[in-house]
Amino acid sequence: MPWSKFDSNHEAPKGDRTLTYCQAIREAIDQAMCHDPRVFCIGLDADDKFGVFGSMSDLTHRERVIGTPISENAMTGVALGAALSGLRPVHVHLRNDFLLVAMDQIVNYVAKWEDMFDRQVRVPLVIRSIIGRGWGCGAQHSQSLHGLFAQIPGLKVVMPSTPYDAKGLFFEAVKDDSPVLFLEHRWLYKNTGDVPTGIYTLPFGKANRLHEGGSLTVVAPSLAAMHCLVACEQHGLDVDLIDPRTIKPLDLPTIVASVQKTRRLLVVDYDFPFGGFGAEVCARVTEAAFAHLDAPPQRISFPDRGMPASGPLERAYYQTPDRLAAAMRTILEGGCVPVGAANELSTR
Amino acid sequence: MNMERTSTIKRDDGLWLLERMRLVRQTSQRIAKLYPTNVMETPVHLCIGQEAVAAGVCRHLGAVDKLFLGHRTHGPALCKGLPLEKLMAELYGRTTGCSHAFGGSMHLIDVEHGLPGSSAIVGGSIALGTGAALAAQMTGQPFVGVSWFGDAATNAGVFYESMNFAALRRLPVLFVCEDNGWSNVMPKSAHSAHDITSVAAQFMPTSCADGTDVLSVYDLAGAALRSIRAGEGPRFLHCKTKRWMKHQGPDACDLPDNGIDRERDCPIRKLEAFLAKAGLAQANEFSALEARIEKQIDAAIRFAETSPFPSTDLLEV
Repeated sequence: MPWSKFDSNHEAPKGDRTLTYCQAIREAIDQAMCHDPRVFCIGLDADDKFGVFGSMSDLTHRERVIGTPISENAMTGVALGAALSGLRPVHVHLRNDFLLVAMDQIVNYVAKWEDMFDRQVRVPLVIRSIIGRGWGCGAQHSQSLHGLFAQIPGLKVVMPSTPYDAKGLFFEAVKDDSPVLFLEHRWLYKNTGDVPTGIYTLPFGKANRLHEGGSLTVVAPSLAAMHCLVACEQHGLDVDLIDPRTIKPLDLPTIVASVQKTRRLLVVDYDFPFGGFGAEVCARVTEAAFAHLDAPPQRISFPDRGMPASGPLERAYYQTPDRLAAAMRTILEGGCVPVGAANELSTR
Repeated sequence: MNMERTSTIKRDDGLWLLERMRLVRQTSQRIAKLYPTNVMETPVHLCIGQEAVAAGVCRHLGAVDKLFLGHRTHGPALCKGLPLEKLMAELYGRTTGCSHAFGGSMHLIDVEHGLPGSSAIVGGSIALGTGAALAAQMTGQPFVGVSWFGDAATNAGVFYESMNFAALRRLPVLFVCEDNGWSNVMPKSAHSAHDITSVAAQFMPTSCADGTDVLSVYDLAGAALRSIRAGEGPRFLHCKTKRWMKHQGPDACDLPDNGIDRERDCPIRKLEAFLAKAGLAQANEFSALEARIEKQIDAAIRFAETSPFPSTDLLEV
């Protein structure tokens, strides 16, 4: 089942065929399972009629879809044990927050197994997880936490923002002989885009420039990337918008080259601020391109507190393209936006 | 001493069990002797007194069967087939160690002999043996998963989660509880309100072996594994044994009321007495075996001592 034959520098197709983000992921899972009988899916509600928000509906190989009890920690160990026994599991979680129940297995086992034994065994395990927010989902159903996971050696962290990226990066994740955390945003599920019909891979650690500009570099993954793109297009901002596609490995060269051109950096990251992805990008760029910066690197993130539930509080807590555009304009005019400044909710 | 023991065990099997138990015992004793000289910079959890569980179960396992261990690794790893010199080199932190000096005492691996790695977080590896069994079931390959853990691991949620999943899917997995009665220095009476076998029995058929009697373990492990291999689903084997040593390190257990009588409880003495009485082996064979293993240990230590330490270049990404 060689996966390498699908490696190519696929350009995003034009007018080939349009799928939603959700359909692109479903197609990727289905094709991966058809291509490679070692691939199977496992997870809480993986086999129910809802099909994980439609991302696993009507799969060809239902016999390789295994629903589990609410036992995320042990089920992660089960997936690891299966990966060590010749299979390539895709473990799915309906919410990112549920990964925290499995932190022992993810951090102590899955992430460490290859290092502990000098890679004598490999761990071809994909952990899919869906980020939610809104409609009063509150503090335990709205977290992203990619920064937390990226901090752990042994985990790759992938965050596709478009249907095309989602399909190509999923194949790259299944192909990988090491653990990959594949984080999808529920709010991207209905977005549409052109997607090739066949199997193709997109390399990890290769960012995508979503919008070309010369006065400010904005780095934003996942849903934040799409919000920033809308902000740039609707407000005509002179912004170089970089979607890293993968949090780890990080395409630092692309980001640094952009900053060398624009001389300013803003990271928009829908995660908590302290020690997170935004902080990491700012630190790396400062280390690599200090002399090219005309202003301190800046961050916009969630406020440093759990998500609220009530509608007005949610609308204040979360960014919108309009608020992001205002923040970018402030920076373009030489001003500063403190972390979370565009939010009306203050950090305690 | 269980002198009235009856068993239909054959001489080959009896001598194999004796040889493995002696290998574990004498290796552990040598580690304990050398440990204070700091040649092994890794925490060691020795198996002295518990040898019967490792030997009795592993006699029924082949190289294809996948065994996942916790932190007290040396005994079951050696019985599963890990070469002694690779264990010693790992303890000495050398590149020739089974984990290439990246694992240490608690993280042993031997892919060739069905030991895909071991873990030092109590309980977690219970799930890995279950996952191996899932792979066996899904692919139709004729191997079993074995999850190996101590009594204190039955307090962890992963124990219930794994047994539940294994029972729901009738997975070919053997859960081996090597119950030495202690969680570090906490007695079982203080760490478990439950009766271990009774809890497991809610999920699958169980059996309870005398973990100081290798023939008891051998018989019950054999029966359990025959059922598993016949497709009858998971089995739980509870082996009550005795930890002669401290939780970690080279010293003897000094806990009060530990209930250890080294004359009465020694699994090696028990088996030797049985083999002699049953006419399956002679006393002079026992002393010859002991001497042969000492030479094997000497050679393994020489191998470890003369193997290179890893280059720190290996840490560069």
